[in-house]
Amino acid sequence: MQVLAKTARASAPRFCMRSFASSAERCQATPIEKPVLNKEFKIYRWNPDEPANKPTLQSFTIDLNQTGPMILDALIKIKNEIDPTLTFRRSCREGICGSCAMNIDGQNTLACLCRIDRNPSKNSKIYPLPHMYIVKDLVPDLTLFYKQYKSIKPYLQNDNLPEQGEFLQSQEDRKKLDGMYECILCACCTTSCPSYWWNQDEYLGPATLMQAYRWIADSRDSYGAQRKEQLQNEMSMYRCHTIFNCARTCPKGLNPAEAIAKIKLELAAD
Amino acid sequence: MASSVILRSTLPRTFTSATGRNSLRFALQVRAASSTTQYVPGGPILKGTVNDPTEFPPPSRTHGSYHWAFERLLAASLVPMTAAAFVTSGSSYPVFDGLLGLSLVMHSHIGFDSMVVDYVHKRKFPVLGPILTWTLRSATVGVLVGVYQFNTNDIGLTELIAKVWTA
Amino acid sequence: MMSARIGLGSATRRVAFAPVIGRNQTVLRTLIPKRGVQIQSLPPSASEEILNAQRLKRPSSPHFTIYQPQLTWLGSIANRVTGGALSALLYGFSLAYLVAPDTFDSAHIVEFVAGLPDYVKYTGKVILAAPFTFHFWNGLRHLSWDMGKFLSLKGAYRAGYAALGATAISTVALVLM
Repeated sequence: MQVLAKTARASAPRFCMRSFASSAERCQATPIEKPVLNKEFKIYRWNPDEPANKPTLQSFTIDLNQTGPMILDALIKIKNEIDPTLTFRRSCREGICGSCAMNIDGQNTLACLCRIDRNPSKNSKIYPLPHMYIVKDLVPDLTLFYKQYKSIKPYLQNDNLPEQGEFLQSQEDRKKLDGMYECILCACCTTSCPSYWWNQDEYLGPATLMQAYRWIADSRDSYGAQRKEQLQNEMSMYRCHTIFNCARTCPKGLNPAEAIAKIKLELAAD
Repeated sequence: MASSVILRSTLPRTFTSATGRNSLRFALQVRAASSTTQYVPGGPILKGTVNDPTEFPPPSRTHGSYHWAFERLLAASLVPMTAAAFVTSGSSYPVFDGLLGLSLVMHSHIGFDSMVVDYVHKRKFPVLGPILTWTLRSATVGVLVGVYQFNTNDIGLTELIAKVWTA
Repeated sequence: MMSARIGLGSATRRVAFAPVIGRNQTVLRTLIPKRGVQIQSLPPSASEEILNAQRLKRPSSPHFTIYQPQLTWLGSIANRVTGGALSALLYGFSLAYLVAPDTFDSAHIVEFVAGLPDYVKYTGKVILAAPFTFHFWNGLRHLSWDMGKFLSLKGAYRAGYAALGATAISTVALVLM
């Protein structure tokens, strides 16, 4: 350490004044030169101001060594430096808000959690969530998704309030909710389901169905029978054919397929 | 803000001579009269406002859990029947062969019906959907008769497959 | 704030010092520049029409053309396709027998198949055995899901690979029979 300090001082020119370390640039260490690592990103574009133009894939090339590790960092860099009209949703940048859900290299995931593949010879294809109406570029219209979520009444319903305090729940009963309450409603699973692609106006989709089961399985909720009765029809739940794309694509590692299978068993047992 | 409200509510007539905007308003009124914003299942227009939840159809266990349970039980029963068909010869147990034939046809019918509901549902295909559903139903009836005839007048399905396989 | 941006500072100052009587009229006339910001009067209910007009122009994002091929949905669609093909064969044969029992009776069929060259027979056996065995083993996997087994992602994948392996082995076994 001392040897290095001596050589640094020896090589610094003599007019390096005594001052703050950051003020004289010549006293600073030289940064390591990073090589340029260019990668191509092909991103789905559609402009609602020119609706007659069909959606296209636009190619952008950026230096990965000057970008953060995640796909969201790449998108932000492209938006900052190359094309400010690139439009996408984002918020927390840590995988908890669910805003940046999109289809990256064929899989639905959160852009802020998806690492960029540092192989420069392959390009990365970024599409919006599949089979959704597109507002602009990578922004889908999630209105139907939210309406479906509202329809299952995702709140505690119990007419018998405890005389004092709150509803009590044992640890075993609370464990039943693990793996379902963590859902951030990013819509990755629902838009990966082929049954939802073909019948999205009637089939609720994995995210909504898993939340429906989250409330059916909650021991504090007393409206389980009504919740289950709502699903007794051909389309709302029974379009699920256990394709399993939902569990495969969930960026939070949750399993909607298992929850739906449990609802089916409970409905059959009724 | 208050001034802009006054502008908006008291001065529409002053700008009827303006070029672009008024044609938009006129076009909107015309479109409201027509039915281009009508709800189409699977289309971009949604029923109700963004705050209304989607609605559920009336519950019916026949189309819900009973159908599902029947389908699974039928498929489960096919497993031992198929295994047995490999071992025994069809002509020695004709009733069993008939049961296998019947179950296979019902299993096929439920499978085809599931495909019609998934891909060609009548709410999106008001003509083609019902046509395919009824074609399927009549075909199944025909197939049931054909299988019965084949099992009665001829050697039966299991025997046929065994013979063709070793031909 | 708005008036400052459009350069109506002098106009607002004039308004502020105008006489109180008839103030509204003065506000209106002096705040509107001659060139004019075009303003449209619309009721709040018109917002839905505007939104629907935009919605009609929106494209639908690509789905199965861009989604990564995975054992999950490939296995599922293969189950459906194999089931559909086998059922079509069953339906086709039964209806043909119903319509023309003499042409399609077992003797004729066995005779026809026996007359085919060997390689056609082997290919035919593979074409019939592979879908049947895949549908059978994948069907078992599906039934176990319905009973609550193999529902984790790992379990589903392991069962999937097991079904593929069983399909290969049983196809070979059937073809050699």
